Amino acid sequence: MNIYKYILCAFALCVTIGTATAAEKDVEAEAQWNEAIRAYDENRYDDAVEAFQRVAELGYGSADLYYNLGDAWFKLGQQNIASSGRPFAGGELGKAIVNYRRALRLNPAMEDARYNLDIARDYTNDTEPLPVSFITSLWRSLRDTLTANGWTAIQLVMLATALAFALGYLLSRRVALRKVCFAVTVVAAFVCLLSTALALSSRSAAEKHETAVVVCSDTTPVHASPDSASKIIRQPSQGVTVGIVREHDDWTEISFADGEKGWIRTNLIEIV
Amino acid sequence: MKISSLRFTFLSLVAMLLSVVASAQVSFTVDAPTLSAVGETLRVEFSVDAKPDNDSFRGPDFSEAGLELLAGPSQSTSRSVQWINGKESSSYRCSFTYIIMPSAEGKYTIGSASVEVDGKTYTTRPLDVEIIKEREEQGPKSLQSDTPRQQSPENRIGKDDILLRLKLSQTDVYKGEAIRASLVLYTRVDLSNIESLEMPSFNDFWSQELTFDNTPSREEYNGRIYQTYKIAEYLLSPQRSGELRIDPVKMEVIAPVTVQDNRHFDPIFGGLRTYNVKRNLTTAPLTIRVKEFPLGAPVSFNGAVGSFSMRSSMPQREIMANSAEKVEITLSGSGNLKFITTPKLRLPESFELYDTKVQDNVKVSSAGTTGSITYTYPFVARSAGEFVIEPIQFTYFDLVKGEYVTLSSERFVLTVKDDGTAASESAPTVGGYADFGGRMKQLDRDIRYIHTGKLQPRAAAIFIYSPMWWLVVVAMVALFVAIYVVMRRRIRENRNIVARRMKRADKVAVQRLRLAQRSMQEGNRHAFYEEMLRAMWGYISDKFNIPVSLLTKETIREELYRRGVSASDAEQFCLIISRADEAQYAPSTDGDMGEVYGDAIEIISKIESVVKK
Repeated sequence: MNIYKYILCAFALCVTIGTATAAEKDVEAEAQWNEAIRAYDENRYDDAVEAFQRVAELGYGSADLYYNLGDAWFKLGQQNIASSGRPFAGGELGKAIVNYRRALRLNPAMEDARYNLDIARDYTNDTEPLPVSFITSLWRSLRDTLTANGWTAIQLVMLATALAFALGYLLSRRVALRKVCFAVTVVAAFVCLLSTALALSSRSAAEKHETAVVVCSDTTPVHASPDSASKIIRQPSQGVTVGIVREHDDWTEISFADGEKGWIRTNLIEIV
Repeated sequence: MKISSLRFTFLSLVAMLLSVVASAQVSFTVDAPTLSAVGETLRVEFSVDAKPDNDSFRGPDFSEAGLELLAGPSQSTSRSVQWINGKESSSYRCSFTYIIMPSAEGKYTIGSASVEVDGKTYTTRPLDVEIIKEREEQGPKSLQSDTPRQQSPENRIGKDDILLRLKLSQTDVYKGEAIRASLVLYTRVDLSNIESLEMPSFNDFWSQELTFDNTPSREEYNGRIYQTYKIAEYLLSPQRSGELRIDPVKMEVIAPVTVQDNRHFDPIFGGLRTYNVKRNLTTAPLTIRVKEFPLGAPVSFNGAVGSFSMRSSMPQREIMANSAEKVEITLSGSGNLKFITTPKLRLPESFELYDTKVQDNVKVSSAGTTGSITYTYPFVARSAGEFVIEPIQFTYFDLVKGEYVTLSSERFVLTVKDDGTAASESAPTVGGYADFGGRMKQLDRDIRYIHTGKLQPRAAAIFIYSPMWWLVVVAMVALFVAIYVVMRRRIRENRNIVARRMKRADKVAVQRLRLAQRSMQEGNRHAFYEEMLRAMWGYISDKFNIPVSLLTKETIREELYRRGVSASDAEQFCLIISRADEAQYAPSTDGDMGEVYGDAIEIISKIESVVKK
């Protein structure tokens, strides 16, 4: 009897502490977020970066947060011209780009992030990506107009519509009504399937961590094999986005936008 | 005070006198080849361009330096007088010549000699002479050297006796870096003529021919001493990176060779004949490695290489609107000045920039391209206000430091005063956009501001395929199936009821008519008509599955017509209903009841026969 009481007490305590820490986290995150915005407004970009990063560490990694973090890094890199003589001497551009890409991974429809990424990429020596077919680019641009959840919402609404009108078609006896119901059902079912495919495509794009950004400030050697004595095949600048192919010890095989592959030290890149 | 100024005058007078004396100074020089071979005689000549005092010449001590004196000093004098445009000028030259023979290789110093002219002593500088041991010649010539008479004239000139070399100042350069290429002819024999010279095209290079000092000199190459003649000199600047090849230079020279001719031996002239020997010379092909610039070039880098400095100026800091002003920058230094693209000047939006004037003062010499370029950017300010003219940036690659260097012009602040007309044209700048001529112009781009909304809880989890999603989908499908099944059952049931009712419609009608008949026999008029109406309305309602409440005579007529009953019969049916309606409350005879009853039975059976199902 007594034992049960203790267990109950312990359980209650755990739950209380758990809730309390969660609440504490909420409060801290909120405070850091506000502090970061204030620091950004006052041009203290190093403090802004730190505070935004703290918010991310607390598990509040939203698209907005990564977007703001990207902005703070970018501004910090420009601000440091005075001390280092050139912009982005500390790899800030790479950090900015990796955070813009994170924001876009979470919310592909975030137009501001896309705009800022475009500006940041002007400072890199990134190559132009291989041209994709018209259909693929159309599919991607359609997919990126909404998030995966947006597409899922459309999918569910369309499923409900299709089922409702299917009922109308199956149960009605009036020919005109049945015709209308049939047409609506077919259209809704098609949109439902399309949005399902888009939601899945968007989900896989958001969940796969298959791109990385070079964050090293100086020119980074990319070798032909995972060996620093092998030939240097390219020297991407910071902020160049690469695909991750595989890893080997502390080397990562990366692929460039134009299809070229090479090996780079894993600590020189940051995964999106 | 006075004394010091006097002293100053005196000192300056002395200085002037001294400079006059210096200009009339006697020159006493030494001339000797600085490079010579062991076993070769060496001629050392001291010459003075004035008449020396008698026996005042003191030659150097050659034996002390380790050189064997063969002859000398032999004195010779020459004098020339010239009249040009009635003016007489004369020159005098006296030289003392020694012939010496170095016996061993090494570096020797010929000591200084002294001479007195008008009681003043002049000395020469010591001269360093290098004596080398020449490499033995190989090949057929050395084998047959003891029988020179049998040699053909071609063989008298060895393979290595005439050489052509293209000498490059460097072979590992950056794009745009200057390379000096000099074409030098090396020879150990006398040459009479250059027959042809084919210079390469220097593909992938910018090339500029240089003027050069063409005095021949002596040079050691591959252990042998040659007389060298510079043929041409170029300044090359590679225009692309990679391994660049310079094609061989081809040259044809003629060397006169004098040989003893045995067949035509002439006792007076000794049978010496001179042959002209042709030689084709080519230089070795050369490769220059041109390196790409390191990464991380600033945006303002346009391929400038070398070392530069920048000066900038703007004459006025305050101008009236609609008046012209200019910014001037001058780049000076050495490097590929000729390839510098005009640096960009960015002006505020309401300024009009005119064509940039470029003035260069560039000299190409063997040391590279040096000089300065001045860019003048004329502009007109259209609107009043205070404007900042952003600095012009120019980046070059510093070869010594091996890094990019960015030069910036001054940051000018220009105040433009309103001249009255400017107001109409002035462009109010709002939020980075200037409204100019009715349409917005993008002035600059920067990243957009951060999102300052409330902190979002967390990144929303992806809903699709989550348990909740499955729940929603399954619930929807289940609801659909449930509704379908229930509705289907109800419809089927409904349909059965209707069918039964339809089948039974006439029977019900018959039953009701029978009730009516009973009422008629009892003489109850009201009840009879009531039963009649109920039978007839009910018949139609059951037959066509239309609720009684929706029935009117009009709908009955329509419905009957649709079911193929003739219009007159439908009219008859409605007429009977009307009659029954009227008769229900009106006093009437018994015969009427029988007539109505008969007509009703007749019309129902008629309808029944037409509307089978």
